[in-house]
Amino acid sequence: MDNILEELQPIFRDILDQPDLVLTRESNASNVRDWDSLSHINLVTSIEKHYKVRFALKELQELKDVGDMIDLIEVKLAAK
Amino acid sequence: MNEYRWSDLRVGLKHEFEAAFTAEAAAAFAQLSGDVNPLHVDPEYAAGAGFQGPVLFGMLTSSLYSRLVGVYLPGKFALLQGIDIDFSAPCFAGDPLRVQGEIVFLSEAFHRLEIKATIRKEDGKLVSKAKIRVGFHGI
Repeated sequence: MDNILEELQPIFRDILDQPDLVLTRESNASNVRDWDSLSHINLVTSIEKHYKVRFALKELQELKDVGDMIDLIEVKLAAK
Repeated sequence: MNEYRWSDLRVGLKHEFEAAFTAEAAAAFAQLSGDVNPLHVDPEYAAGAGFQGPVLFGMLTSSLYSRLVGVYLPGKFALLQGIDIDFSAPCFAGDPLRVQGEIVFLSEAFHRLEIKATIRKEDGKLVSKAKIRVGFHGI
């Protein structure tokens, strides 16, 4: 879980152009600057490519924060 | 204009077309953009810098990527969301340019596609290459 958080951090820093961003499981679109709808699409597609997984829209709509995203990634990786 | 629906799209789908820009188009771009750098608008200056003529603006030739996406691949239902461009070689008014694009990634969740595209001269020399991120609207 910690590994995924560490791997997600550079993806978020790059997409959001925030080199000092410190990501936590509680990070979400409300408490991270510039995490808007289009950057969300950029984040999700980058994560899909990084882990070679695919998300369904319904799965994504149920996510509340980065912690939920990490849990979903773990499920996807375990199913590969 | 193509009207690909999302269900029509697949990785590997390609499109290409040819285009060229006139000196008048370059002058119009200089006026529209405000980029009046002499390398692009002054033949004598460009010759002094070692070029055969004023160098076409990279952002002008790259407007062909907008045509690629908005007219051909996928066409009518495209929404250009992002583009990364690298310029490789200068080109000039009248140069025939060939634009090629290929879908390399599809994300079902947000109906987002990614295209790898190039612009090449008649002899195949690379003018620029781009990674283009495209959304899909309406369907």
